[in-house]
Amino acid sequence: MTDIAARLRDVVFSYARGATLPDSEELTGEVDPDDREGPVLRGVDLDIPAGSFTVVMGASGGGKSTLLRTFNAIIPDFIDGSFRGEVDVLGADATETRVSEMARDVGMVLQDYESQLFGTSVEAEVAFGPENLAVEPEEIGPRIDDSLDLVGLSDLSRRREPSGLSGGQKQRLVFAGVTATHPELLVLDEPTSDLDPKGTREIVDLVGTLSERDRDDGWTGPETIAMVTHKIEEALLADRAVLLKDGRPYRSGTAREVFTDTDALEAARVAAPPLVDAFDELGWPGEDLPLRPPEAIERLEASDMSYESPGVGAPGGTATEFGDPLFELSGVEFAYGTDRGPVTAVDGVDLTVREGEVVALVGHNGSGKTTLAKHLNGLHQADDGEVRFRGRPVPDYSMGEIGREVGYVFQNPDHQIFAETVREEVAFGPENFGLEGEELETRVDRALETVELNGLDDEDPFSFSKGQRQRVALAGILATDPEVIVFDEPTTGLDATQQRRFMDLVAKLNREEGVTVVMVTHDMGTVARYAPRTVVMRDGVVADDLSTRTLFGDETALAEYDLVPPHPAEVANAVRGDEPTALTGEELVTALGGPDALAGADPVGYGDESAAEMEVDNE
Amino acid sequence: MSSASLYVDADTFLHTLDPRAKLALSFAVFVPAYVFGRPEYIAVPALLALAALWAGKGLRNLKRIWIIVVALFVVGLVVWPGFVERSGPVLLDLGPLYLTEGQALFATGRSLRIATFIFGGLAYVSATSNEELVRGMRRLGLPYAFCFAVGTALRLFPTFLGAAGTVRQAQEARGLDFSASNPVERIRSFIPLLVPVFMTAFRNVETQSMALEARGFDTRTERTFYGDTPFSPRDWGAVAVTVAVIVASIAVSMMGYGVF
Repeated sequence: MTDIAARLRDVVFSYARGATLPDSEELTGEVDPDDREGPVLRGVDLDIPAGSFTVVMGASGGGKSTLLRTFNAIIPDFIDGSFRGEVDVLGADATETRVSEMARDVGMVLQDYESQLFGTSVEAEVAFGPENLAVEPEEIGPRIDDSLDLVGLSDLSRRREPSGLSGGQKQRLVFAGVTATHPELLVLDEPTSDLDPKGTREIVDLVGTLSERDRDDGWTGPETIAMVTHKIEEALLADRAVLLKDGRPYRSGTAREVFTDTDALEAARVAAPPLVDAFDELGWPGEDLPLRPPEAIERLEASDMSYESPGVGAPGGTATEFGDPLFELSGVEFAYGTDRGPVTAVDGVDLTVREGEVVALVGHNGSGKTTLAKHLNGLHQADDGEVRFRGRPVPDYSMGEIGREVGYVFQNPDHQIFAETVREEVAFGPENFGLEGEELETRVDRALETVELNGLDDEDPFSFSKGQRQRVALAGILATDPEVIVFDEPTTGLDATQQRRFMDLVAKLNREEGVTVVMVTHDMGTVARYAPRTVVMRDGVVADDLSTRTLFGDETALAEYDLVPPHPAEVANAVRGDEPTALTGEELVTALGGPDALAGADPVGYGDESAAEMEVDNE
Repeated sequence: MSSASLYVDADTFLHTLDPRAKLALSFAVFVPAYVFGRPEYIAVPALLALAALWAGKGLRNLKRIWIIVVALFVVGLVVWPGFVERSGPVLLDLGPLYLTEGQALFATGRSLRIATFIFGGLAYVSATSNEELVRGMRRLGLPYAFCFAVGTALRLFPTFLGAAGTVRQAQEARGLDFSASNPVERIRSFIPLLVPVFMTAFRNVETQSMALEARGFDTRTERTFYGDTPFSPRDWGAVAVTVAVIVASIAVSMMGYGVF
């Protein structure tokens, strides 16, 4: 066995076919990740140590997934483009090997679990990989048992159809299918991005299990893991980290070294762990910054800190004063018709949303939150009960009338983008609602300016990055000048910087133009920062409707609803006494006395774990 | 959520047959339905196919498409008579609507023939999982790439429809009106619907084929099949029945029975 699982030298890759690749020396300097021209990988030298769990982070569009795809020969074997460089993976020259051959040693799990399920039963799904690798049928049976056991799905009927499983179960099934081929190296590309909090936790636990075991005890699971993620909480599972910037590794080292280097993180457009940022701001010694809540709590308990109320309202700067009730829902019920009879999705909801509010709608997949949200603009009509907008029942409005007032931004911008130019795409809604001439042009201009896409009017939206496409979709809604915007998962697929920009924009629309916002989301960080009020949905009913600060300060309620609070709230809850909780890192700093309030504190150290890490480093 | 596939998970006699034997049995209803023309003769394989559908617990799939079957007979009564001579007593005479007994029998026979194909095909996919279907085709000597493509197309269709539903809602929310009376406008209104559906499908296919290869899928190398069972005596029995039925029905029809 080699010490290095993957070794990359001078790897340059461009998605343009037949492009002339410049020498690596010429590929230095800044690159805008939204810019789709030119090479994505610009002279990568990288070693992934065998047995390590390495996380790769960086801006969206910055080449993280591209990099990982060289590990199993997807690049250059499968994706056409221009490639140069050396890639040695587990002793094979990956630049000269077919993807299907690399599959013997390298397993890959992608974000979109739907596209990775090929079987019509749980059993067939897991068997698929081993069958492809011509494993003897007698040996496949035990492999199915082992893999399902490993991912915690052994209770499922082997004959169950994957389409009926929850998101978390589906993604675990994908993991089972991949581990059944007994890969030595496991490549994970944002494995939790499409999952709800519960599904995310299932996968995080699974990845934790996979990374802790090793092959010495005869285990056949992956020895080495390489993962791309946008979520810092997940990244903290890894023992090593690589930050990509300008198409090459910018900083690498142990997870602790990299994730406490706030300057490097900022340069690479990666959000620092909120606790690292907060403690840095508080003046805590730089070599002793905490990554996770238990470490932070330990530090605070050892210091002479005092905790005061961090303030009221949402820290993200959304409005604090509200007008008349805009939506009044009473006894709303809705069922989907299926070939096995109706399935209830919303089961008696009463809810009022006032003008100027920002309301987060949270809950697990299948809790009915998206179905409920679709009642607000008449996409669904209640089977029973009533939805009123400005006192008038929504079904009494025409689709044109309600569509103008209530904009709905779908989760996936690709489900609506169709036009050849950005301008045409953005003008589509307002045109349908009867706007034309000067007024139409002005609206479109303003909308493009708001989302910072002005000047790109004639570009083809299909060539844009995901973050840009998201903004095109939002501009298309803004141009109709709605009073309410309903967002379904507004931040999916965006990196930390893009998420922040997008949501700050939403907060500004709310604060300055009084736009009422209802957002369906799984992202508790977004909820904490921007929504003063949270509605928790469970099994089709409103399980709770309360101030976000109260919710994140109430550990019993969080556990009951299976919600995970942002790290700063978790830390605040441990030390706050009777004061309100802190929702963000900035609030935690304020609550603990402001910048440098803890300067001069004694370092606490990281205990045994860091000693073990140090040893690895010294080898 | 409706079930994504037509396959009904059960342990019926049909389910336990080899996919090739099941394919043979479908021909035992297809061939007589094809060689005979008179409805009273085709009714036999049609009823047998329905019985197979019932035996394989596939009747719930019939619920999904019964409207198509009904439409088939109604439209058939209008269209098919145009293909034959007017013969026998007049059943209906309303100017342009004119139907004789001979025409009605002919039309019913043709519609029944297509219905038999539908019932038989449905009985087959209700009792045969996608993997079995692919395995059966492969065992018959068809190239694996082709078998896999057929299996995948059957599997992906519902997913495709789901995406189309989301796109439709997204565009309706932006004021797209599908009820325009002007036919040109109406066709134009489909562009905002079709482009995202196809673009999304295209992106999905890209991800899917990448995931496929990463799982070791390769049409150039031999693979194994998990759960592959040998062709049992029961399967041979099904083949024997099929051969007998085919030979008999061809012989009977050549003797002039059951045809016009």
